[in-house]
Amino acid sequence: MAPHQVRRPFKRAAISDQQKRRELALLRQQQSRRDSQHQARSSILSLQPE
Amino acid sequence: VAGIELPHKQWPELIGSLLSNSHQLPAHVKQATLETLGYLCEEVSSDVVDQDQVNKILTAVVQGMSSTEVNNDVRLAATRALYNALGFAQANFTNDMERDYIMRVVCEATLSPELKIRQAAFECLVSISASYYEKLAPYIQDIFNITAKAVREDEEPVALQAIEFWSSICDEEIDILEDFVGEFSGDSEVPCFYFIKQALPALVPMLLETLLKQEEDQDLDEGAWNLAMAGGTCLGLVAQTVGDDIIPLVLPFIEENISKPDWRQREAATYAFGSILEGPSPDKLISIVNVALDFMLSALMQDPNNHVKDTTAWTLGRVFEFLHGSTLQTPVITPANCQRIISVLIQSMKDAPNVAEKSCGALYFLAQGYEDSGSSSPLTPFFQDIVQALLVVTHREDAGESRLRTAAYEALNEVVRSSRDDTAPMVMQLVPLIMMELHKTFEVQKLSSEEREKQAELQGLLCGCLQVFIQKLGAFEQTKYVFTQYADQMMGLFLRVFACRSATVHEEAMLAIGALAYATGVDFAKYMPEFFKYLEMGLQNFEEYQVCAITVGVVGDICRALEEKVLPYCDGIMTQLLKDLSSDRLHRSVKPPIFSCFGDIALAIGENFEKYLMYAMPMLQSAAELSAHTPGFDEEMTDYTNLLRDGILEAYSGILQGFKSTAKAPLLMPFAPHILQFLDSLYQEKDMDDAVTKTAVGLLGDLADTLGSHAGPLIQLSVSSREFLNECLSSDDHLIKESAEWARLAITQAVSG
Repeated sequence: MAPHQVRRPFKRAAISDQQKRRELALLRQQQSRRDSQHQARSSILSLQPE
Repeated sequence: VAGIELPHKQWPELIGSLLSNSHQLPAHVKQATLETLGYLCEEVSSDVVDQDQVNKILTAVVQGMSSTEVNNDVRLAATRALYNALGFAQANFTNDMERDYIMRVVCEATLSPELKIRQAAFECLVSISASYYEKLAPYIQDIFNITAKAVREDEEPVALQAIEFWSSICDEEIDILEDFVGEFSGDSEVPCFYFIKQALPALVPMLLETLLKQEEDQDLDEGAWNLAMAGGTCLGLVAQTVGDDIIPLVLPFIEENISKPDWRQREAATYAFGSILEGPSPDKLISIVNVALDFMLSALMQDPNNHVKDTTAWTLGRVFEFLHGSTLQTPVITPANCQRIISVLIQSMKDAPNVAEKSCGALYFLAQGYEDSGSSSPLTPFFQDIVQALLVVTHREDAGESRLRTAAYEALNEVVRSSRDDTAPMVMQLVPLIMMELHKTFEVQKLSSEEREKQAELQGLLCGCLQVFIQKLGAFEQTKYVFTQYADQMMGLFLRVFACRSATVHEEAMLAIGALAYATGVDFAKYMPEFFKYLEMGLQNFEEYQVCAITVGVVGDICRALEEKVLPYCDGIMTQLLKDLSSDRLHRSVKPPIFSCFGDIALAIGENFEKYLMYAMPMLQSAAELSAHTPGFDEEMTDYTNLLRDGILEAYSGILQGFKSTAKAPLLMPFAPHILQFLDSLYQEKDMDDAVTKTAVGLLGDLADTLGSHAGPLIQLSVSSREFLNECLSSDDHLIKESAEWARLAITQAVSG
């Protein structure tokens, strides 16, 4: 039976730079997807009269 | 064996037989029985054992733990068994008498003459603090007395568990208080008893005492964990729990000790200060920091002790992390002190590896604070010197110690990320330098396994840097063209990185390639023949699911970059993505982005997605049915369900948009009723988050836009096209409102057409 682990991060930042890079990549991808969708939507609507 | 059989209702007599032993002598049988019960509780889920058996287990265990048990081995086995059995004791903890009895026995065991029993008993208290926080009020005063005595007088393994009890209480209260201020305002199921706030006047002095119990070489030993470290960590959690109230209790300790001749006192004072910087309001801390900053900069340069300098550099990092940035009204770093701060940090990077590592960390947060500081950065005049100093650190012979090399590259990343276009030419000069470093890692042959691990780590760091540079330079028009001239060489290096076996490196290279695809656009097509096999490998990597998740994201990047030129690779990609979705082995977090990726592929290849409809649509439909209803009130599950919904909606949107204005658009008509039904049920559940709401209303518009008059009557019948759309039209969220206005227009056209 393993004893309760008491060691916690010591003098370490809450998130690593690698994690930050992952998250920034994800944000960029989400933004690019939104932009593509936005473009797909506006390109058709612009052709049609309101 | 019990772990396998009990969940299948096999071996029902096991627990009864074991319990019949617990009254038997000799003691070693009793001990073995309790150990077996402990293992059983560790292995088996609590819902497998019925309450009657749980009661019997707990009775046997608690009897074995009681002070009347003369055999210490039996008592220890019982205490360890209780640690594992606590998860089974939900019902028993709601019964006052039973709970009182368990708590009395645990508290008595913390006073045992046997160290291991005391340690195990405190482990039980830690576990109880996390599982039964709301039941602790009647016992908290006694527990404080017991833990305080242990921290001050007992041996280290016991004292560490006693401190951990309070850290665990802080964890609980931080979570509860976050729920109070978060979006689930007032919905926290557990009330906050403010144990930390009540214990504060006695708890803080106890923790401050521990800070003076450092070990001689603690900063040089990465695996070290001692009383001072545990005490400071707990103090930091206390600060996060109570905020401003901690300041007057810690300040006198800092003032008393910060200038003492004994390094332990100076280090403890600095560590106390650094520990309380997260939690209290910046207003309360900034005036103290402004007084302390000059002192700390001098200490980092002049203090004769390595530990004091280590903690000082770390504390400066915490100051920049929590009290520096565009959102703070009073700046800690001003034009008057900026140059001195930077020159001290650069100087300190030449110090011992542990101190230099903390200085790199401080520089990281200093740069981070300028990320949103407007068109010019106060770091611009120092950019060249900072980068030069960091590169020197990466080449230090001792850079492998104390994570120094990693810290230097990470600081370089942050300095580049926070830079502006005026320093872009300097970032450009870094590209060939870092590429050369990466190239050099392939030249070394015949490595031992330890050396190979270090090589992989370095390759990961260098790929990470290149990813940041690509992202930065790709965003500036004036550097984008020059930068893309390096693309061939860079891609060649990334492909060589894939020859290594380390998952971390693959992930780093994949992230960098995603950024490269985004920056190069359609030109990325020339890399696809060679890169494709690694893309497939990434999608097949179930074990290291992060690699798989990143690769799914890169597929999206490639689709947007290549558009219809991605078509030759789509059979392979779709086959693998469908396998991923069907797999029980793949971590569930990868599944929502796979659905979004279907949308990216469909949007890129348009009506060519037709051949995948027969596979993708049934998957989407069954996932949609599953995700339409949130099972129970579990915040984590709700978040996951919303991610899944968002992925499914994005897939449908991408597919509809891909088929829009093509002759094959009517092929999607048979799926329209189900899509509308999905949207209706999401609306009726009333638990969509803003992201899902925006995607859902967008999909409603896509459906109308692509299927036009064919779907008009169907759309008009749906709840989504009326109530949901109207709610979105009056939303405060401008993105939701914008999508809703577009959907209304598309629906109007579909209906009138």
